[in-house]
Amino acid sequence: MKQQEESIRTVGLDVGTSRIVTACCDGAERGFESQLNAFVRIPHAKMAESMLHKENVPFQVQRDTIVIQGNEAQRFADLFHLETNRPMTQGFLDPSEAESVPMVKKIIETMVGKRNGSRPRVCFSVPAAPLNATESLTYHEATLRQTFDELDYEVRSINEGLAVIYSELEDTNYTGIGISCGGGLCNVALAYLSMPALSFSIPKAGDFIDSSAASVTGELATRVRIAKEATFHFNGHFTDKLQQVLTVYYEDMIHALIAAMKDAFSNAKRMPKLAKPIPMVLSGGTASPQGFRDRFEKLLRASDFPIEISEIRLARDPMTATANGALVAALTEM
Amino acid sequence: MAGEFDLWEEIQRQESKIQWLAGRHTDPVKRLRYLRKATAIKSRPKRWKTAALTMFLVLLIAPVYHATDSRRQTQPLMGREVPPPQFHQPPDQVAEVWLVERKAAYEVYSNGLRIETGNSIPHDKRSYASVSRSSGRLRTDGVQPAGIVYHTTESHITTFEEGNNARLQRVGQWLVEYVKRQRSYHYVVDRFGRVHRVVEEEYAADHAGGSMWADQDRIYLGLNHSFLGVALESQTTPGADMAEGITDAQLHATKVLTEMLRSKYGIPSGNCVTHAQVSVNARSYRIGNHTDWAANFPYQRVGLPDNYQLPLASMVFYGFGYGQEFVDATGSRMWNGLAKSEEHVRQSAAGQAISVPQYRTKLQQHFRQQMAELPESPGTGKLRTGRRTR
Repeated sequence: MKQQEESIRTVGLDVGTSRIVTACCDGAERGFESQLNAFVRIPHAKMAESMLHKENVPFQVQRDTIVIQGNEAQRFADLFHLETNRPMTQGFLDPSEAESVPMVKKIIETMVGKRNGSRPRVCFSVPAAPLNATESLTYHEATLRQTFDELDYEVRSINEGLAVIYSELEDTNYTGIGISCGGGLCNVALAYLSMPALSFSIPKAGDFIDSSAASVTGELATRVRIAKEATFHFNGHFTDKLQQVLTVYYEDMIHALIAAMKDAFSNAKRMPKLAKPIPMVLSGGTASPQGFRDRFEKLLRASDFPIEISEIRLARDPMTATANGALVAALTEM
Repeated sequence: MAGEFDLWEEIQRQESKIQWLAGRHTDPVKRLRYLRKATAIKSRPKRWKTAALTMFLVLLIAPVYHATDSRRQTQPLMGREVPPPQFHQPPDQVAEVWLVERKAAYEVYSNGLRIETGNSIPHDKRSYASVSRSSGRLRTDGVQPAGIVYHTTESHITTFEEGNNARLQRVGQWLVEYVKRQRSYHYVVDRFGRVHRVVEEEYAADHAGGSMWADQDRIYLGLNHSFLGVALESQTTPGADMAEGITDAQLHATKVLTEMLRSKYGIPSGNCVTHAQVSVNARSYRIGNHTDWAANFPYQRVGLPDNYQLPLASMVFYGFGYGQEFVDATGSRMWNGLAKSEEHVRQSAAGQAISVPQYRTKLQQHFRQQMAELPESPGTGKLRTGRRTR
């Protein structure tokens, strides 16, 4: 019994621009939890504080404001007609947001828990470098590592696209292309027998769709996102302007993603020679709307794609695939 | 850049084997664990020295392994290729074993294996030489253990009875400390069946001296670097049954340790052999320079097929023979493997219309040339000099 109590908690962590998702093992079962990677500040008032206590909402009091992070941030942002603050932008920690690191730390600590006995083993996702960019990922990854050190977790990182492959492509011995369409970035990785061959990201993803649609419709980006997640789907004939606009920007994103993949795979100098077609897996919240996979496949098949694709599939659970792949990596290598 | 291309080519060359071995693991985590190991080994960057050495050795060794072919081309009436004997056992199921718990002083595995790790130390980084049996190409960048060599410690032991507990423990501890100082083995299985890791698995241990073994794909030269050394605490008497003093606990521990190592590194059963089977004296061209487990290694009880049936690479490929000392030390089971090796040598000699001694001499000459010109390479020193090690 004592050994069971001391068993080491192993967690896969998807640190995304929009959401932070955890995957962990509980015996044979896998459990997932998702929190919005956002926070909102509301004016401090005794009554508000008391209400938050009563409703078990995680918050912190900072001078004359109350900071609410995670899923509850959205509810209070709606209530007070505020935009949520985002610790991350375009896949990386936002260096201009002073609260970005403490907020991410708080959300992760709430989800993974504090060290209790053995150090939790955490494998977290990191984005690939944007295509044709010289930006360094060092700040993002090093800051997250430092945060995990402070929480006394044992950590390693995994490329986000590779995590999708680890989650979804065991049937091809982890050979194929994994794509994670998130909030800030679309991450792409190609692996051959589990070995990463190529990875990159493009900074056109869910946030791009939200902000572009918001600027056209005059809505808040937050509200556009909520509407998008609640009702948007492909292959429909919309009279609603927002839906029409979302379709336009979604297609723009898909075109950009396919063009980037064509560019990257055509010009890659160090690639395995693939003897047979390989599968492609789509995941992430931005890939979740009904009809996304079909639309993506139609546009990909119409392009002169340099790699033969056997099938394009949607991840079993697009929202948790990256975290699940990170968990698989943690269980494999930690 | 060229190294990266080699990397993919190397993996692709092995793809069908890797795919097949991966397919045995139904659990995604275990499958990935296997693939990461299999491809990580292939992806180790080659240093320029290793690459240059490899090219050099390929040029040296390739003609040796194709000697029969070239002879046949020039003397067609004399040549008759004799297929080499089977250097492997039929495919068997490797039980899946995984790490359950790791603490500072021990590790526990899913098959009940517990390894005491408090004495583990590093040694020389593993990097070994092996020759492809199909292409004759030599590689010197092997890093993943390819097999297991079983030893007896030939250390002082005391009667295994309850009244001797303190002494048994003390002697066992002395042994582990001695082995640690000498970096002699990766694992020592004491008489209570406790498994002590001494030299860490990613490093070489000085356990096999001049030695070689072959499986269906490769010939391994100098097994200190390519095979893991597992020693059972024991002291054998010449002429007596070598398994006599081994306790049931030791056999069980050796069985679960073997399962774990085979599962972890995908080691085929045919590459789990005894020191006597692999040991050679390169100066006298005799096999069995060491005779531990020359007879009666309880293969079945440690979950392995009877590998005494396997032929010896040293005899088949390099013309090694054996002396009376070895004959005295071996048991009848090992003679099956020796007989297969001898028969192959005899047929090969007949195929080339030369006598067995002439054929052996040719093989030995090739071996001598190779080893004399072999640049310093991990684990092959004893093969070049023929120095007796321990």
